[in-house]
Amino acid sequence: MNRRRVAAVFVRIVAQFRRDPRTLALLFAAPIAIIALLGWVLSSSGTTTAHVAIVNASGNPAGDAIVLKLTTALQGQPRVEIASDVHDAATARQRLIDKQLDLVVTVPADFTIQNRKIEVTTLGLNPAGESGVLPAIQQALIGAVAQEAGAVLPTIERTSVYGSPDATQLDTLAPVVVGFFVYFFVFILTGISFLRERMGGTLERLMATPVSRGEIVMGYSLGFGFFATLQIALVLAFVIGRFDIPSLGPVPAFAIGLGVKTIGSPLIAYLLVLVLGLGAVSLGIFISTFARSEFQILQFIPIVIVPQGLLGGFFWPIDQLPSLLQPVARILPVTYAIDGLRQVMIAGADLTSSAVLLDLGVLAAIAAIFVVLAAATIRREVA
Amino acid sequence: MIVAPSQTPEAAVEAVALRKSFGPIHAVDGIDLALPPGRIYGLLGPNGSGKTTLIRLLTGLASATSGTVRVLGVAMPSRSNLARVGYMTQADGIYPELSVWENLRFFAALYGQTDRAAMIKSLELVDLAGRLGTPAQNLSGGMRRRLSMACALVHNPAVIFLDEPTVGVDPALRVQFWEHFHRLAADGATLLVSSHVMDEADRCDELLFIRDGRVLARGTTAELRKRAATDNLETAFLKFAGDSAGSATGATSAKETLR
Repeated sequence: MNRRRVAAVFVRIVAQFRRDPRTLALLFAAPIAIIALLGWVLSSSGTTTAHVAIVNASGNPAGDAIVLKLTTALQGQPRVEIASDVHDAATARQRLIDKQLDLVVTVPADFTIQNRKIEVTTLGLNPAGESGVLPAIQQALIGAVAQEAGAVLPTIERTSVYGSPDATQLDTLAPVVVGFFVYFFVFILTGISFLRERMGGTLERLMATPVSRGEIVMGYSLGFGFFATLQIALVLAFVIGRFDIPSLGPVPAFAIGLGVKTIGSPLIAYLLVLVLGLGAVSLGIFISTFARSEFQILQFIPIVIVPQGLLGGFFWPIDQLPSLLQPVARILPVTYAIDGLRQVMIAGADLTSSAVLLDLGVLAAIAAIFVVLAAATIRREVA
Repeated sequence: MIVAPSQTPEAAVEAVALRKSFGPIHAVDGIDLALPPGRIYGLLGPNGSGKTTLIRLLTGLASATSGTVRVLGVAMPSRSNLARVGYMTQADGIYPELSVWENLRFFAALYGQTDRAAMIKSLELVDLAGRLGTPAQNLSGGMRRRLSMACALVHNPAVIFLDEPTVGVDPALRVQFWEHFHRLAADGATLLVSSHVMDEADRCDELLFIRDGRVLARGTTAELRKRAATDNLETAFLKFAGDSAGSATGATSAKETLR
């Protein structure tokens, strides 16, 4: 490995980036914009008000009593608004369809003291969003019915080993987003750069110089690692930091950065993402062998990137995946990065934690495998 | 950096029974070569006759199906030996977003050329020293070709392979290129220049007619003209092609492929 030749490849990649401001902007502005958007959406999605109607379809006094109890209980709840002008099931149903109501609580026709069944109806177009208001409603229902029966409900207090039980979705999603962005961008940019090298005849010229395949892969890793480093630093600073800017004249007060609560070391988080990114460099070089155009590189996104997003623990914990998919998830690098980042940022694990070391080790091993695969695809015999 | 090993090899470029097959097709079909140093060799033949494959075998970019190659006495492929070899490909093979200087500096570093004066000089020779900061994508086609040549010669190689270097180059510049080639040969470099344009043949010290992966004839232009009993090199090529095919149809098909 000749240091001067590796440095030449590194310097060349940096120069190419410098002369491509749009790609630079994509690299740095795009993740910030998307994470800011995500933060905005997640922070306000919990503050919408649920419009609720409570209807007594049984017509008997026991039902009326329940309705009264429920109404009182729910009126005390935050983010719940009771529609007092709806009294029959048909109107309530129509209001649901017209989206004027989010949820209807019905005391059914056959309700008696003995048969205490209560129906809760939602529209069903967006089950995940609708279920957001359910816990508060259920709590109120149980409370109301129990009180009717003369019982007192215990109060439940939640705690968690790591983080805070009221950690927002953003707090747990942020680490994942950081890792995923770097992986995606590094993969796409290396894939396309190296494809150009193959198609533009420059790889043939490189092969006619004393440079070795290892030196090329190393130079690429350093070059893209350099930009990945800047990107990770910026994205992590944005996710963790928060800088409030007071209102100034007509401009309202706003904050830069999400201020996600993290207790782990940002350096270890950075290390995890960097090793993940280095694997993506070699993966990009490797994949570029199978593409004949930039468009064909993009075709690898649903094959290489999307499954990692679905299976890597982004949406569902690995343990909850179907048993056939679990081994698949366990060979994906993003899985280990996400786990490591959560260990570090939420559980505050450091390098003494065996879980973090395992994640780092697996990521490094995956990167090493792809370095070998990438080098194998850079053959002297290109044509 | 003209390398002069203590035991100067007889031939700068040497191939023995060189063969390259792609399945049933023999792109190079048993070529024996010995090219003494300090001369310009013209590799002439129609498109698809095996010129590029032969050059790629000689540089070690392709692996031979059978046979051996030695460049400056070293068996190819040899990565370190490539520091003494220059190869200008048919495609420009430069980075369009990089400037003239950045392109040249990159290839110089890969070849181990650290002498800044030599780097500037290789740009002066192709008349690009005044455009160091210009991105390659803003250069004209002829200028890109010249930059490509400067990148191939920046390390003063002792053996130079030029694959159709004058394609798309205007006549005035073509004259400059050939003057440059002759200066390099006079300094002791060995040049193998491929072309399918017969009027360039007269500028070479020696010609190799190649067709279907075989060398049909070799010699100076005068020798070849005499042997074929014609002043026209194209006619001479067709005659050798006809002789090798052993029939008039061979000559006709050769004439067609030349067009």
